Amino acid sequence: MIEGFVYLLLFPGLLFQVVCGLAFEWLDRKFLARFQRRVGPPWYQPLADLIKLFSKEDLLPEGANNVVASLLPLLSLSAVLTAGLYVPIAGFSPFSFEGDLIVILFLMSVPTLAYYLAGIVSVGIYSILGGGRSLLQFFSYEVPLLIALSGPAVLGGSWSVERIMASQASLGPFILFQPLGFILAVVGLIGKLKRDPLDIPSAKSEVVGGSLTEFTGTKLALWHLVMNLQAVVGIFLLINLYLGWSQIDHPLVSIAVFVGECLILTVILSGASAIFARLRIDQLAGLGWRILVPLSLLQLAVVILMGV
Amino acid sequence: MNKISIPIGPQHPLLKEPLSMKIDISGERVLGGSLRLGYVHRGIERLAQQRSYTQDIYLIERICGICSHIHTTTFCHAVEALLGIEAPPRAHYIRALMCELERIHSHLLWLGILAKHVGLDTIFMHVWHDREMALDIMEGISGGRISHAANQIGGVRFDLDKEKVAMIRSTIAKLHTQVEGVLDVVENEPTLRARTKGVAPISADLIKKYCVVGPVARASGVDMDLRRDDPLPPYDQLDFPVVTYPDGDAWARTMVRAEETRTSLTLIETILQEMPDGPVTTRAPRRVPKGEVIIRSEAPRGELLYYLRSDGSDSPARLKIRTPTLAALSLLPQQLSAIHVADIPVVLAGVDLCVACADR
Repeated sequence: MIEGFVYLLLFPGLLFQVVCGLAFEWLDRKFLARFQRRVGPPWYQPLADLIKLFSKEDLLPEGANNVVASLLPLLSLSAVLTAGLYVPIAGFSPFSFEGDLIVILFLMSVPTLAYYLAGIVSVGIYSILGGGRSLLQFFSYEVPLLIALSGPAVLGGSWSVERIMASQASLGPFILFQPLGFILAVVGLIGKLKRDPLDIPSAKSEVVGGSLTEFTGTKLALWHLVMNLQAVVGIFLLINLYLGWSQIDHPLVSIAVFVGECLILTVILSGASAIFARLRIDQLAGLGWRILVPLSLLQLAVVILMGV
Repeated sequence: MNKISIPIGPQHPLLKEPLSMKIDISGERVLGGSLRLGYVHRGIERLAQQRSYTQDIYLIERICGICSHIHTTTFCHAVEALLGIEAPPRAHYIRALMCELERIHSHLLWLGILAKHVGLDTIFMHVWHDREMALDIMEGISGGRISHAANQIGGVRFDLDKEKVAMIRSTIAKLHTQVEGVLDVVENEPTLRARTKGVAPISADLIKKYCVVGPVARASGVDMDLRRDDPLPPYDQLDFPVVTYPDGDAWARTMVRAEETRTSLTLIETILQEMPDGPVTTRAPRRVPKGEVIIRSEAPRGELLYYLRSDGSDSPARLKIRTPTLAALSLLPQQLSAIHVADIPVVLAGVDLCVACADR
């Protein structure tokens, strides 16, 4: 009973994930700033932003559905936190079961759909535009992402993240067998996180703030938290599926390797947002269906043939 | 899909200056747009009539926050033409030096804004960092980063000594290497190219029909540059290429400005080399004889026209300013059709609007 509460609230649940989310935001902003010849914020800036947003007045335009608009960030937050519970952290995973990869992927797409709905219920013109764009983007990146992520599952012979992870101890990290799949998964993750260069639904110069234009205060703070947690869970998932070096006997070494891999992935995400211009939505759809989907199918075919 | 109308401005993250646009869209397609201007109309022309010519220089410097120097230069040329005096050659060279520095910092500022609009903040940060060097030079020689107060009727307010010339030379050399690095990225970055290539092309005929000037016209293959076609001194003695691109799209507009930045950097070297010695001012009388004059000059955004009429008193009887942005604005609704919503920032950046100039 007490153990369960510790898992849910402290580690690997709420507290740990929120801390990771804030740490990710800070690292991301810091790396990006260094790429751009800036200094970047101090370490407590994401926390300060969060506290400040929580203390701000909570407003929505007239005609917006306040109940639904309040529920959407909460729903997304709980979905992401639940997904985070099933992702092994440095080999530690108390809730693992066969098929949890599918559950994680399902839960991870809840925030995207909630983001779309948030645009619709908050009745701003830019919100509706942003919401529509997020749905279009969802259909462009989600298919190649899912096909790419099924590669490790096929190779590992299981739909449990922990087993896939464990099978890499004998076979070697899956990034060596499917580097293409890893790249596709990173691109898909950037699309899922709506990060630059795929921040089409929230492009400031085009649709102001996208779906979240009309959100303020606590709701906006929760949305920001959801985005950061999504990034953290996504990074953890990619590490487990592709970079299974953490199966080392000594726990400290295993944790150090895990943290190092997290940092590398954060640098990759920040670097991608630093060096690419934002794509247009039609360009993204073209990229997704003409390039990413065939490539991910090719990768999957190679993996299946390797298994035979 | 239903037609909806989105407001862009006067308050929008896209615009740093107040300009209101109503843009009709259907899904992600832009159907058309309309403009509303006048949010920063300050009545400069009327105010100028109430002040003396010397006071007007101060006022006119504040028409624009980017091209403040070319405004006062053109005004001083107009007054000098009415007075029948000529500023000393060294003063002309110092004015031209400031004009070219202004062109560099205006184009770099523009490049940063374009990059920011397409989500390439890294270029924005780097370009604006480099642009500070041009501003540092201007501050070093005139005392002001943006409003330089360099001009007076009959000359300029300061002279350049050896140390300042050396400072300009070394800073320009540094700026040149930095800018080359950034421009190399801008020219070869595939995503930036994908966002600008083929976006909202304008034909040369349309440019001529709407009297669009400056880099936008040159990007559509219209070979015009007042520095060469109707030069104010000292441009008649300077040799420099006029950059044109045939494509007419947002990509060509980017390339024209990138090339012009290079040209201006080289031109500054030439100006420093050929700058004659001598005084920098001549005495100018306070009262201006009766008459009228039109002076045109090449501002960073294109042709700038000053019409000045004097009734023999110490303040202008009439001062009409036509800024390059005005022509570009008239073509904007044309460009805002049959594009994507995501192209709106690119189109807007492409014309390099200076709303404060256009409204006055």
